[in-house]
Amino acid sequence: MSTLTEPRALRRVAVFGGVYSNAHALAATLEDVRRRDVDAAFCLGDLGGFGPHPDRVFPVLKAAGVRVIQGNYDQAIALGHADCGCGYTDPRDNHYAQISYAYTLARTSSEHRRWMGALPAHRRLRLGEAEALLCHGSPRAIAEFLWESTTPDGLAARLCDDARAQVILCTHSGIKWHRRLPDGRHLVNVGVIGRPENDGTPRVWYTLLTAEPGLELDVEFVPVHYDHETLAKEMEAEALPPEFAETVRTGWWTTCLEVLPGRERARGRF
Amino acid sequence: MDAPAPAGRLTPAPSAAPAATVAFRHLTALWVQITGTLCNLQCVHCINASGPREPWLAPLDADTARRYIAEAAALGVKEVYFTGGEPFLHAEILPLLAFSLERAPTTVLTNGTLIDDAMAGALAALAAGARYSLEIRVSLDDPDAARNDAIRGPGAHRRALAAIRRLDAHGLLPILTATDVGTAADDRYGRLRDLLLASGVRKPRVKMLPVFPVGRMAGRGGGVVTPEMMESVEPSRLQCSESRAVATGGVYVCPILSGFPEARMDGATLADTLVPNRLDHPACLVCWQTGSSCRNA
Repeated sequence: MSTLTEPRALRRVAVFGGVYSNAHALAATLEDVRRRDVDAAFCLGDLGGFGPHPDRVFPVLKAAGVRVIQGNYDQAIALGHADCGCGYTDPRDNHYAQISYAYTLARTSSEHRRWMGALPAHRRLRLGEAEALLCHGSPRAIAEFLWESTTPDGLAARLCDDARAQVILCTHSGIKWHRRLPDGRHLVNVGVIGRPENDGTPRVWYTLLTAEPGLELDVEFVPVHYDHETLAKEMEAEALPPEFAETVRTGWWTTCLEVLPGRERARGRF
Repeated sequence: MDAPAPAGRLTPAPSAAPAATVAFRHLTALWVQITGTLCNLQCVHCINASGPREPWLAPLDADTARRYIAEAAALGVKEVYFTGGEPFLHAEILPLLAFSLERAPTTVLTNGTLIDDAMAGALAALAAGARYSLEIRVSLDDPDAARNDAIRGPGAHRRALAAIRRLDAHGLLPILTATDVGTAADDRYGRLRDLLLASGVRKPRVKMLPVFPVGRMAGRGGGVVTPEMMESVEPSRLQCSESRAVATGGVYVCPILSGFPEARMDGATLADTLVPNRLDHPACLVCWQTGSSCRNA
């Protein structure tokens, strides 16, 4: 697995995951980030899937200088796998996941597929004094889900030990959360900007991390409002499932619910 | 009904083909066979031939269970599962679940027959006060009551569905767990989901498991997984690369073979057992063929 290391320590960074072909949310996120005095912006992968016109997000990411790592979706599209690798067993979930995957695979240019294939699996950086590891699912598996209710402190500590990091940043699951361990280390799921987080509002979230000398690492989740109605109409024009557009408009997840633990599932409508 | 199998009465590997070895990656799931093979039902496909008569595998001592759960948490385990037999026959099940939930997300696999309204309320209170997720998996194999009860015993369908409704009413989201005794074409998953919706469960959750040639199904298929067969499979797909089971007698390689002497791992601690294992049991072929995991997702 390839890892890129940032050459110098950073003070403030913006980190997001799960673009899911949502170029509108990506543009709105980057516009917000520009006002936040950050040293760099990072994307933890899953550029495609779910949304329309997958090729539109790449020039936006590149123009803004976002430093990207590979998600399981990017890996699958780059290699032309048969599916996204999320491992659904519900035939209904697989039905929707396959529509999304086939659509994205067919409409992602070979140039962008090559570019995703060359992305690093991990990045390391120094946030002030802290060593941070950036990954997609977890440091040990690209498609591992780290949910708040099913990630015990003992596991978080073990992941930090194995990664030799005081801070782990991940995404993949689609819902943000932050755990400060009793020993002061941090596990942060930075959330996703391509799809709302099953909370009944269309907003999406990214994460700002700030390391000021002598202060505890500050983790701030930033809501982003964007033109979700235009996105939903584009999805409909592309004949993507109406259930996907419903999620964009309402903020409730409608498909691929089987991977949610009971506690996270209980918060949603479906 | 078949009589419960005595310990060690397993079908040996059908051929002398060399078995593949799977490396251990990391401890994701600890399975606790808390009631041994003591159960108030006697299902025809039971993987460890559990039943109401004298169990061939005794329930696990509560202190031993706590010791292994604490060790697993220190090793960075992600999930703990309670199984049996029927876990709610264990006198200390609620304090044991509370102990586990302080350390890790915890799931109970049950037939649902002992979950009355008071127990559903107690579980909901436990879940509400816990740091991590509590999941209850209720076994029900067929949406049709007669066909289900032919497998699981008279009244099993009605009682399991009642438990699911009670848990749902208390805000827990039980996972209906079915052994896939039908054919791939019968859309059992969809029909079980429809059964839940028709029963008023608004967030239906279904988990499917394959039939394993072990326990009451011993001798019905399966086989050794050879090194050549592993060339086409990602070893991490096999749950023995990330799970161990504790039962009376020690630590066992996986939840399917929990309690069987030939699946017992050497070592005084859980950490001692996190070593490579051989895919030499007939049940190993089912995991290789299906990529199935006994975990929730």
